[in-house]
Amino acid sequence: MHGRIRAQLLKGTTTLLVLTVLRDGELYGYEIAQRIRGRSGGAFAPGEGSLYPALHALEADGALEASWRDSDRGPRRRYYKITKSGLAMLAEHSHEWAAFSQGMARAVEGN
Amino acid sequence: MDALSGWLTIILYVGGIGGFLIATVALVRRSERRLGGGRSNVSPAAPAAPGGSPDPITTYLDQMTPELMLPAEDVAEVRAELADHLGDSIANLEAEGLEREDAVREALGRLGPPRELGRQLRIAHQSTRRLLAGVGGGIFAAGGGFVLGYLGGTAVGLLLMLATVAGATALSTVVGLHLPDMTSGDGGSTANSILLAIAIAVAAAAATRYAVRTSAGLSRRSPGSVAVFWAVAAVLGFGWWFLFAYRGPQSWPSVAIELCIPLIAAAAAIVRVERPMPHVGRWAIVVLLVGAIVPMVLLLGVTSSGPASMTTISQSGPEPDLHLATVAPMAPAAWLPDGAIIGGGWGSDASGTRVAFDLNPSLSGLTMGSVLANWRDIRFEAWRALPDSDPGSTGIDPQYTTPLLAQPAVISGDSLQAVLHLERMRYSGMWWVVLTGIGPDGGRYLLQVGGGGNTSFNGSVWDWLTTAQ
Repeated sequence: MHGRIRAQLLKGTTTLLVLTVLRDGELYGYEIAQRIRGRSGGAFAPGEGSLYPALHALEADGALEASWRDSDRGPRRRYYKITKSGLAMLAEHSHEWAAFSQGMARAVEGN
Repeated sequence: MDALSGWLTIILYVGGIGGFLIATVALVRRSERRLGGGRSNVSPAAPAAPGGSPDPITTYLDQMTPELMLPAEDVAEVRAELADHLGDSIANLEAEGLEREDAVREALGRLGPPRELGRQLRIAHQSTRRLLAGVGGGIFAAGGGFVLGYLGGTAVGLLLMLATVAGATALSTVVGLHLPDMTSGDGGSTANSILLAIAIAVAAAAATRYAVRTSAGLSRRSPGSVAVFWAVAAVLGFGWWFLFAYRGPQSWPSVAIELCIPLIAAAAAIVRVERPMPHVGRWAIVVLLVGAIVPMVLLLGVTSSGPASMTTISQSGPEPDLHLATVAPMAPAAWLPDGAIIGGGWGSDASGTRVAFDLNPSLSGLTMGSVLANWRDIRFEAWRALPDSDPGSTGIDPQYTTPLLAQPAVISGDSLQAVLHLERMRYSGMWWVVLTGIGPDGGRYLLQVGGGGNTSFNGSVWDWLTTAQ
């Protein structure tokens, strides 16, 4: 039950979470998922099936750049890097999220 | 000064078209790299499991792939990325204590149903911006492909013709079999029309192929998924263009080829469309331009400065015998002063043959209207003429009893004028134009003996099919 509620709440926030973790540096897909999970203390874990479509859509929109590079082990990995356009998108999404979450908190708490 | 202007024209032609073609080739190459025509920068993903048993990861990726409908390079990247992700995920789950089989099942479950993932990834790749880039790039590449195909098609057509001539000569020499000569009697118009039809057929095929491959790469779609769109566009666009809009020399063989062009273009869009386009290098473009466009421009410069391809109007009497009695008797001097109307001149191009006969300027005080006051139904008549291959015979071919074409003459100042659409008559070939009118006694008489020329059919396929002749 809790998982379903969280999944609903996470809908639409994947973009914000991805851009947020990529602000600190280049990461590949699995690292991004792990980093989101770690930063939220395990509270947020975006469905891995929605992570890659989000990454590829952000790349198509110019918010991310992707490049194949050698990894420490095994095959080459696809690393994502945030662009200037992505930083602007992150600022916009962050502002929207802050306004939304504050409004939601006031509504839920009844203040 | 004229020579300088001519060379400047050539430089502008070659430079402009060359730049356009080089830009097209660069665009096509970029798209080809995306379509997997170049070297892939990703590693092969998820090799099959040993022992021949189906590997669940490969099975998952194979189920997802058909939903992607992306270019080969994108498909390879997606598969490699997801295989890499699953490798990490399974390793971590195993580290957490899961058995290999359970770890694989859990990792695949976290990615969700493979077809849904493939569909979501396709949506992510195929943005509206990329779609517009694909359509625009496809149209641009089609233009460049058409020019390249036209140049290449001209070369192919010329080689075919050379081979045909060589074959016909060999048959004639060795076996004694004489094939019909397609160049005599029409000034090479039939051969020219076939050469042009071959060139534009190759051009249409190249244009469509370039459009498919370029638009697929730029819009991030598999060539197969955009092929139907371009095939329909080619059938409609080229079908309309080559049936109604394109005007040029025609013959039955060229009309047959042009009617097939929509199908040829559609086949070029669909058949083996995943196969990369052959690379056209910059030097190949330079050679094509220098080899084809420079002679073309030089030829245009020569023909545009010269007179129309016909004989001058004869102003003399019926010497030698022009077989004018076939048309009508000469007008009696009592009804039309001798030499009152002189052959003014004419010009012939793709839009028709404009004829103008003038009032003799020595007849001061008279007008064309007053000279022809006793005449009615004055018209220009075009008759089939004897071929000019025999210098001993000229004028109207006496075996014909009716004109090819008759057009009322319109008085304009001191001129009688008309436009004769001889270019819309199949195989009009050699002709002779005279001026006739009905005299006071109700009989038709020859008012001016005129002159001859040679015209080939010039129009669209539709014009050819619907012409009255």
